[in-house]
Amino acid sequence: MLDYAGTGAAARRTGIRRSRSEEATSLVRQIDWVLMGAVAALVAYGLWAIAGITREDVDGDPSYFVVRQGVFAALGTAGMLVAVLVDPSLYRRFSRAIYVCTVGIMGLVFVAGSVTRGSRRWLDVGFTQFQPSEFGKLLFVLALAGFLADRRRRTGETATILRAVGLALVPIVLVFLQPDFGTALVYAAALGAVLFVAGARWLHVAALAALAALAALALLWLLPAFGIEVLKPYQSARLTAFTAPDSDPSDTTYNLNQSKLAVGAGGLRGRGVEGSTQTNLGLLPEHRTDFAFASLAEQRGFVGASILLCLYLLVLWRGVRIIPTAGDAFSAIAAGGIVVALLFQVFVNVGMTMGIAPITGIPLPFVSVGGSSMIANLVTIGVLQAIQIRSRGVPRRP
Amino acid sequence: MTEPYRLTPQLALRVAILGGIVLATFAVLFLRLWALQILSGTQYLRTAQNNQLRALRLQAARGAILDRNGRVLVRNTAGLSVQIWPADLPKDRAVRARMLRRLAFVIKVPYARLQREIAARSDDPLTPLTVKRGIHDDQLYHLEEKKEAFPGVVVAQSYLREYPYRALAAQLVGHVGEASQEELDGNPELRLGDEVGKAGIESAYDGFLRGEAGSARLRVDSLGRPRGEPELSDIPVGGRALRLTIDVRLQRAAEQALRYGIRLAKGNEAWNANGGALVALDPRDGAVLALASNPTYKPSLFVGKPDLEKLAPFLDEGRAAKENFPSLNRAIEGRYPPGSTFKPVTALAAMEEHLVSPYASLDCTPSYESHGQTFDNWTPNYDQPMSLPTALATSCDTYFYQLGEAFYDLPPERGQPLQLWAGRLGFGKTTGLDVGAEAPGLLPTIDWRRRYFTRERYPRTWEQERLWKPGDSIQLAIGQKDIQVTPLQMARFYALVANGGKLVTPHVVDRAEQPMRNGRRPIVLQRFTPPAPQPVDVDPGALAAVREGLLLATHAGFGTSSGVFGSFPVSIAGKTGTAEKAVNGRLEDQSWWCGYGPTDRTAEIVVCALIENGGHGGSAAAPAALKVFEQYFGRRGTFVAPTETD
Repeated sequence: MLDYAGTGAAARRTGIRRSRSEEATSLVRQIDWVLMGAVAALVAYGLWAIAGITREDVDGDPSYFVVRQGVFAALGTAGMLVAVLVDPSLYRRFSRAIYVCTVGIMGLVFVAGSVTRGSRRWLDVGFTQFQPSEFGKLLFVLALAGFLADRRRRTGETATILRAVGLALVPIVLVFLQPDFGTALVYAAALGAVLFVAGARWLHVAALAALAALAALALLWLLPAFGIEVLKPYQSARLTAFTAPDSDPSDTTYNLNQSKLAVGAGGLRGRGVEGSTQTNLGLLPEHRTDFAFASLAEQRGFVGASILLCLYLLVLWRGVRIIPTAGDAFSAIAAGGIVVALLFQVFVNVGMTMGIAPITGIPLPFVSVGGSSMIANLVTIGVLQAIQIRSRGVPRRP
Repeated sequence: MTEPYRLTPQLALRVAILGGIVLATFAVLFLRLWALQILSGTQYLRTAQNNQLRALRLQAARGAILDRNGRVLVRNTAGLSVQIWPADLPKDRAVRARMLRRLAFVIKVPYARLQREIAARSDDPLTPLTVKRGIHDDQLYHLEEKKEAFPGVVVAQSYLREYPYRALAAQLVGHVGEASQEELDGNPELRLGDEVGKAGIESAYDGFLRGEAGSARLRVDSLGRPRGEPELSDIPVGGRALRLTIDVRLQRAAEQALRYGIRLAKGNEAWNANGGALVALDPRDGAVLALASNPTYKPSLFVGKPDLEKLAPFLDEGRAAKENFPSLNRAIEGRYPPGSTFKPVTALAAMEEHLVSPYASLDCTPSYESHGQTFDNWTPNYDQPMSLPTALATSCDTYFYQLGEAFYDLPPERGQPLQLWAGRLGFGKTTGLDVGAEAPGLLPTIDWRRRYFTRERYPRTWEQERLWKPGDSIQLAIGQKDIQVTPLQMARFYALVANGGKLVTPHVVDRAEQPMRNGRRPIVLQRFTPPAPQPVDVDPGALAAVREGLLLATHAGFGTSSGVFGSFPVSIAGKTGTAEKAVNGRLEDQSWWCGYGPTDRTAEIVVCALIENGGHGGSAAAPAALKVFEQYFGRRGTFVAPTETD
């Protein structure tokens, strides 16, 4: 096993004992407060945005969604704090269990999931529903990171790469079949990041990228040409719609056009909560979930949207910074996966509202209304912080 | 594996690449945001501002149609119509189909028809499609209560045509319907879904009746649900009311008279009597007082989105034939041989051409031989010389055969004076009525025979048929064989006899009015003055002889309709006609009567009645005409039994 400096386990093993309070102080000192502040600002900004976006949504209760979202943010913050305290090496030790668990809950959706708008994404857990694939993102990254960290010396071997890809494909395919194409894409992006950070050879990285491109081509064009429809027609239409937004103004690209209209109409300063007709008249579909960014852009304009993007950039920047300083290979790989998954979600969601990315049902992290996404993302940040706390290169106090 | 983890240059490079990707990604997002919001922001803003505003077309109330005394023949009633905004229908096919099926059930319109109409509008999703006009309260409540279940379905106010007198003057008034593509192409004012007149007055005077549609803007959300009140941008201008020359009471009497005539005909074993037409004209100016056609229909069948099954007699050729073409306005479109009612034309022409003098006698024999052919009189009972008035009164065929022969025998350089005079008296061309698709009828000439009977049309007989033979002139003299006239042409000719030789232009619409509230007199916006009656240069003496003959026909013991009119307190003059016409392969007698009254002062009314396959003129058409005179003069006649006359 590797030996890590700065982790609790290593400390115990080397016999350096510190009081709990000391440990706690060091924990607090080593937390990336910039990242913390950025995430807090993001959540707060997201709540403020949602307050405006959903004001007209529930008759007589303009704060219905903000309150709900606030409760989820509080729950997520609690989850984040717990995650900060958990030693990441624990995830590594139990990475197989995590993997099995990931695949398990994905499978459970098919058995016990409820159908919403034609897809099975939700699990009913009595008081509320939750979306396993949101939490699955984190679990997926941790499980793969564990697998690859265990084979750190052999990441250059084709067999290792193939096994990792094979392992990853199981949850990816399960999510794809729900069907939740967008989240499956996030998983795939995370897989690529994990392999990249773990040290896969350039040749393999290139081969995988080529394969992904080929797969996309096959899904969208080649197989349908031979009469094999892997994607549902609406899916492939949405995926290709952004390449030709005026092809069919009535149906598939309706969402896209309304969304671009909302963003564009926002202008520099935004149309305000009252004046945002695209949002308030319901012309913009899914305006509090998938198209929340378009709504925000309409209400708050270039200024408001830019603030959000800057906050994301800050969070991601701090996330990238954690990778090289991570205490061990596992942490580095996990951090890489987490950062790229987040980046991918932000890009695809924001890009889709502006017509430069395919339309997929990916929520905007920390902003879109939805408990699972909010909690899962906050917990993910908690894991990132846990990695940061136990990183190298931070001067140990005497 | 005990070596410590450290940052390799390899990892550092890869992290740097990741950082680069993050920066590049955000650069792209910012640039795109900049492009949309700052560079094209104004343009998008404008589009978004119009996005939720819908232009509504506000239909103008169509003008009413009134009779000469202001009685309402057609008016509007406020109704509710069901509209579909195609853009707001559910996007999902299955959901849409389920919703439309339900809608079809509620408003009782076939689902297939809904589908077809929506498909036909697929290129224009922002114009509402009216799928049903005039829904019932319970349907309204259902749609309003379950509003959420019917996205894209709107109940809108609309006007519906209402017919207080139901079927009265149906063919004359016509009906309205949604504008067809050709009508839309032909009139830039019309929009998809507008109603226009489709037949009769509604069609001929559509420009006056329709008014100008207005427009309003309505804020709606994406489900098409209105947010706020419509803002009026253009006030609709209601259509003008039309005042007709028709008298509703006389019209009703005329239609009843036709049914009465048909009943009488059937009573006389003319079992095939199944239709008819009746025209009442004011001989002084050509104002149409009544214009009836039988069988008839209720124009209300066409109101709203009509039931196609009920409209089958109008749309389907076979069904129309079965119902004896109820939409056909026989008074102006029906073409019949005039039979003996044409004899006054022959008489006038013959006198004008000096082929006969009014009081010289010609033999009225039971039959007449010409070129080896025998032509019988309608009755073998006469065998005596007759003057022209008497020949008219007894309707002696053989007398007129001789005139026909005389016309035939004229040297070629004199042309065809009988046809020439018939043309001058209004036959063979339309009368210029302001409403409807008039038939010109047919005035057979030598030329016509030559043109009509071609090798292509009649490969075996054309060489014989294309020649004008003595029989053609002889038959034409009694209004038989090829000649075809409309009842309106006939009435117009009798008006000329009644008014002393002037050809009137019949007209139905007198003026357009602006209706006023509170019972004030309507403002006349436009008078439709027809051309003044045109004098046809007829010799007054000849005309007097014809009028004498017509008066004898209704009053002398030997008159063909004296049994009908002889005891009527107002003096009526007129002529019967029994015209043979091939109907479904057999010859049927078309029962005619045309005449006017009063004869002792200026004639006020001309009536021309026709009962299809009704047998003798005196037994069906004449009693029917009497009914109209009774209504007009407010006096009752004492017609007892039908007479069998020509």
